[in-house]
Amino acid sequence: MDKPPPSISSSRWSNVSSKEVTFADLASKRIRHGSAGADSEMLSMSQKEIKDEDARLIYINDPDRTNDTSFDFTGNSIKTAKYSVFTFLPRNLFEQFHRVAYVYFLVIAVLNQLPQLAVFGRGASIMPLAFVLLVSAIKDAYEDFRRHRSDRVENNRLALVFEDGEFRDKQWKYIRVGEVIKVVSNQTLPCDMVLLATSDPTGVVYVQTTNLDGESNLKTRYAKQETLQKATDLETFDGFIKCEKPNRNIYGFQANMEIDGRRLSLGPSNIILRGCELKNTEWALGVVVYAGSETKAMLNNSGAPSKRSRLETRMNLEIILLSLFLIALCTTAAATAAVWLRRHRDDLDTILFYRRKDYSVRPEGKNHNYYGWGWEIFFTFFMAVIVYQIMIPISLYISMELVRIGQAYFMTRDDLMYDESSKSSFQCRALNINEDLGQIKYLFSDKTGTLTDNKMEFQCACIGGVDYSDREPAESEQAGYSVEVDGIILKPKMRVRVDPSLLNLTRNGKATEEAKRANEFFLSLAACNTIVPIVTNTSDPNVKLVDYQGESPDEQALVYAAAAYGFLLIERTSGHIVINVRGEMQRYNVLGLHEFDSDRKRMSVILGCPDMSVKLFVKGADSSMFSVMDEVSYGDVIEATKKQLHAYSSDGLRTLVVGMRKLNDSEFEQWRSSFEAASTALIGRAGLLRKVAGNIETNLRIVGATAIEDKLQRGVPEAIESLRIAGIKVWVLTGDKQETAISIGFSSRLLTRNMRQIVINSNSLDSCRRSLEEANDSIASDDDESVALIIDGTSLIYVLDNDLEDVLFQVACKSSAVLCCRVAPFQKAGIVALVKNRTSDMTLAIGDGANDVSMIQMADVGVGISGQEGRQAVMASDFAMGQFRFLVPLLLVHGHWNYQRMGYMILYNFYRNAVFVLILFWYVLFTCYTLTTAITEWSSVLYSVVYTSFPTIVIGILDKNLGRRILLRHPQLYGVGQRAEGYSTTLFWYMMFDTVWQSAVIFFIPLFAYWGSTIDTSSLGDLWTIAAVVVVNLHLAMDVIRWNWIAHAAIWGSIVAACICVIVIDVIPTLPGYWAIFQVAKTWMFWFCLLAIVVTALLPRFAIKFLVEYYRPSDVRIAREVEKLGTYRESQTMVTEMNQIQDPPRR
Amino acid sequence: MSSNTASSSAGSGDSSAARKNSKRPKYSKFTQQELPACKPILTPGWVISTFLIVSVIFIPLGVISLFASQDVVEIVDRYDNDCIPAPARTNKVAFIQGDSPKACNRTLTVTKRMKQPIYVYYQLDNFYQNHRRYVKSRSDSQLRSPKFENQISACKPEDDVGGQPIVPCGLIAWSLFNDTYTLSRNNTPLAVNKKGIAWKSDKEHKFGNKVFPKNFQKGNLTGGATLNPDIPLSEQEDLIVWMRTAALPTFRKLYGKIETDLENGDTIQVTLQNNYNTYSFSGKKKLVLSTTSWLGGKNDFLGIAYLTVGGICFFLALAFTIMYLVKPRRLGDPSYLSWNRNPGGGR
Repeated sequence: MDKPPPSISSSRWSNVSSKEVTFADLASKRIRHGSAGADSEMLSMSQKEIKDEDARLIYINDPDRTNDTSFDFTGNSIKTAKYSVFTFLPRNLFEQFHRVAYVYFLVIAVLNQLPQLAVFGRGASIMPLAFVLLVSAIKDAYEDFRRHRSDRVENNRLALVFEDGEFRDKQWKYIRVGEVIKVVSNQTLPCDMVLLATSDPTGVVYVQTTNLDGESNLKTRYAKQETLQKATDLETFDGFIKCEKPNRNIYGFQANMEIDGRRLSLGPSNIILRGCELKNTEWALGVVVYAGSETKAMLNNSGAPSKRSRLETRMNLEIILLSLFLIALCTTAAATAAVWLRRHRDDLDTILFYRRKDYSVRPEGKNHNYYGWGWEIFFTFFMAVIVYQIMIPISLYISMELVRIGQAYFMTRDDLMYDESSKSSFQCRALNINEDLGQIKYLFSDKTGTLTDNKMEFQCACIGGVDYSDREPAESEQAGYSVEVDGIILKPKMRVRVDPSLLNLTRNGKATEEAKRANEFFLSLAACNTIVPIVTNTSDPNVKLVDYQGESPDEQALVYAAAAYGFLLIERTSGHIVINVRGEMQRYNVLGLHEFDSDRKRMSVILGCPDMSVKLFVKGADSSMFSVMDEVSYGDVIEATKKQLHAYSSDGLRTLVVGMRKLNDSEFEQWRSSFEAASTALIGRAGLLRKVAGNIETNLRIVGATAIEDKLQRGVPEAIESLRIAGIKVWVLTGDKQETAISIGFSSRLLTRNMRQIVINSNSLDSCRRSLEEANDSIASDDDESVALIIDGTSLIYVLDNDLEDVLFQVACKSSAVLCCRVAPFQKAGIVALVKNRTSDMTLAIGDGANDVSMIQMADVGVGISGQEGRQAVMASDFAMGQFRFLVPLLLVHGHWNYQRMGYMILYNFYRNAVFVLILFWYVLFTCYTLTTAITEWSSVLYSVVYTSFPTIVIGILDKNLGRRILLRHPQLYGVGQRAEGYSTTLFWYMMFDTVWQSAVIFFIPLFAYWGSTIDTSSLGDLWTIAAVVVVNLHLAMDVIRWNWIAHAAIWGSIVAACICVIVIDVIPTLPGYWAIFQVAKTWMFWFCLLAIVVTALLPRFAIKFLVEYYRPSDVRIAREVEKLGTYRESQTMVTEMNQIQDPPRR
Repeated sequence: MSSNTASSSAGSGDSSAARKNSKRPKYSKFTQQELPACKPILTPGWVISTFLIVSVIFIPLGVISLFASQDVVEIVDRYDNDCIPAPARTNKVAFIQGDSPKACNRTLTVTKRMKQPIYVYYQLDNFYQNHRRYVKSRSDSQLRSPKFENQISACKPEDDVGGQPIVPCGLIAWSLFNDTYTLSRNNTPLAVNKKGIAWKSDKEHKFGNKVFPKNFQKGNLTGGATLNPDIPLSEQEDLIVWMRTAALPTFRKLYGKIETDLENGDTIQVTLQNNYNTYSFSGKKKLVLSTTSWLGGKNDFLGIAYLTVGGICFFLALAFTIMYLVKPRRLGDPSYLSWNRNPGGGR
């Protein structure tokens, strides 16, 4: 490892780097999707050479020189706060006016300020906008204040910085790039730094990255061997690091370090990032490479991607209709005004109520507030726009946001969606697509970790072709394996059920060939992995638990299994491992480690054994292992093992094959030299390493095979069944192989025995096309049968981005279940896109791992499972939860509710604003077509803010059309959302007819009743205001399904509040309407009108609502009757439900 | 909303950790949305009885409204046309603006006994007291207090005369109705009480008792009545009534009250001054003598409306009952669920 980098001819250099560009492009494209595809990026990044213009230079322990260069490095102080005292007002206003709604408000308010157009007084026109702006500004200011405070705390934390020959405490904000920092155990890192040395002689540190990506398992990072010794004398440390510019990829890092004229390459395993915590390591030394806002943690600190809800998009059509309606009203007003003005053009000067001429200026008079016929029409039009502005329900957008926050609150607080095992409750990460949950038609699910627990359990072993899969019965609660070392009892943290015969075999030592093989098998399981054992204390001082931490749950399961059979892995450093073999400590030197990669699909380790032999252990997927086996010598065993593996995988177990080989000296030396050359290579390092690994991993002797059960999560079969009955098409996308996938399909009840399976498993475009078309025809000919489509990743390569997509889509649509196996992460997104682009139906993707991120972001709704595989999926998702089965309450209950509520709320808001606008409009026809409002301007402003808004928000959050239990019992009720029955253009038109009727009733009953009477404008205006508020609120009351005390308070409270407001407005003596409400409310006429209005306005709606609900009942209505009247005939419906399920399969 | 999701600082990282290990939500009926609630549904029984109740209430209300309206005795006399001498009728506007005498005599006959108080109204048709230019042309603060005499900005074009503010300013006051009526019954004068015709609240709080008319009707164009500058606005009841602008283009304003009963067959002679110019916009002028009922004036509309709605409700109740009897549906019968209706089509 001490060689200088090999010199490479310039031509080859350029060749490679040009190729690398494509890699880099790929990587950067990925980054957009969050932090997905960590593995592949790591590969590409390590191969990449840094160009000078893309690099930054850091002189180790020389911050002055580092910061003196032309690079502009930021300090380590962070600023998450957005505003300062001075910039707050302009910046906050600027950001707020990014919302179209506010701009509309503003334009209207500005129009109103023109003297010719001033309809409302200044105060009344600005107030609503000012109110909303003020509330948002206060909220933003408070949040920003909190950010300022946390920034200050963060910036003033202390870290040990090497200065003037010793480590001194220094505040975080003063840390500069190039400084050397010492971090001690359990400390949080202040910035991103390259490791120089650690307390571990081999240079290993363990860090926890919970703050960064939420993963709580320990990760190992290494200091370079070369810097380890040098770091003891920091004063003379001389060197520099050339690393890439700051970026947000937390899984990639690429740099070169030059010390003493030697060049070392650095990768992601040599850097520890801001926000990580140091664990299990006394101290670590590092040089700061990125500080402050340039750290990867801060660069990643951006918001979730925003999606728009389908309902909101659909709503735009109606908004446009309403705009047209608004324009029509304004045009009518302008046109009629034009006709009137034209007809009376000769009399305008003197008409008592018009008086165009002002004679006080000149005897012949001067036009007063009159700019000519054309202009008057123009002004009338815009005044009409101002008066009728609430036709476009701007307040709706604000109400919708409030409602979604409320809905999100109830979703997160739902007891049914709390995961006891991971102590996590439901999370709403996106706040604007709650109602989309009620319209899902396609569900794309990952398998591992989503349908299954991703808690692997070692089930069977096949050693030398012999199957050992008799598990001891679960009841025999033994203490499990433990071993005593120096008076301390060590126990693995997890118990594994063992096969007694195999246990005996291993205990008997090396007596027989079989026993020897078994020992070898478990030794390789204990050794060939990247698991880090962590010894933790228990309450009993003599007992310690060994906890295995690692990135792969499969490996954990295997190491626990080895431990249960007496091969207890106790210690791992980068140089050696210690395994306790039934009480006897054995130390193995780790001479080489080829990490797992997805091309080779195996990993290997080269161990120097205590008996001085050198052995290679390889572990990997069966497909990749059998090709590197020595088939000549071990043909029988391989055959037997293959047979056994087939049996395992058809039981839904995950299989791995283990092989080994003894290396002789020359082989080892040859490997060592090529390995060192490869690992110090600057370009194509990963490729070279892979090649080295491939060269040595040959001619293996088969040791055995393992089978691990990937346990289904609790409630998954029931959940899938519910979703299926709800009419949601469930597609499972998995990386597993076909047999495993199918068996999981059966156990999760995705597939049933009486489904015909169509398997597409082709190796070329033509055969793929043929089988797809055959499948399509066979389904078309026979539609009574339910079909399951099973397609594998190789076929998908030919299908995706191709005209075959259509055929696949047709076939898939006709199938009751779709199962895609051996799917690569990018294909997952491709499949989602395939469906999304072809239908308008909503798609939902659910997954837990980094490989699901692309799919989660592609789908209309992305759900992340906060499970074992870290939190990338959660970070990319719109909703996050602990278990797959929570999908059922999420969609069937909350989705249903949210959709119904939101759909109704939108329609209702259209209605309530339109009613009011129409009342104003009708009046204009009786005021000589001038935009007088009988209703006071304050009431017009308060109408949509105070008089009627609160109940819609409360109902939008709280009303439930059906109870939770009945929704879960009849998943079919979910169809309401899928068929978009809660909100449609048809419903909009019905609503609008009703609106016209109601507004006419409200307006014309008083008009005729008071025609030719002494009624004054303000009194009649008050009557109209109160009538409108009462009718609109009672309209809502008629549609409320659940009357709890909050609904009562909101609806009746609103009416009372409106009356109080009207009274308050009428006790101000400087307003024309002084005391009007008291004068008019004294008369019987007022109350007679009110009663007549309310009953007449709501009568048609009431009658039609009843007729429809009684004679054309919707499913929801029937279900509500069932719920209310309890006429549920258990037996009868159960039969019909069972017919749907068709033979529930059980494995 | 995006702003606060972005706010969680990864550096401090407390938020993500907190999210991961969130406490189990405490079970409460509120958070589980299980608050006790009443779940009314529209059953035929409810609906039919609702309609019946509505009709039972509405029909009597309609009947008593009609009776109330029938009780009102009303004498309406349109005089705008007749009070212009026949030769002047070709150009009414010129006549009304001219100086010729405007007196006019009308005779009304009482056809039914009228009990006091009998209200004397003038009724204007086609007069838009709710015109936008008109309603805005007033200064409420000026009316209240002499302090705000100069608040006349809204009053244009009747705001000032030669720089001196007009009190009361604005088009509304300027166009004050100025026809006058003198009534006599069977050749004996009939007193018309002009006190107490305005709202008490207006007299006490809206129109100041220290505010006196100034420069009123001194402009180049006279709109209507003049005011006695020695009487404070709070006593100028005609003005107060007039300034309660009418909501609709056909309206009545109270002129005065007759506080004696009028008998059937009485003839009432009215001597009126036809001063007010409604001719330029073809507005009608009427003199109205009317009693009132508890429900107001003579207007059958509400009674008819109540009877109609009550009748419709009765009819609907009947129709729904018949429909219910002929074609009932068992409520809550799961066989009506769509997936049970067409088996196999498990949409």
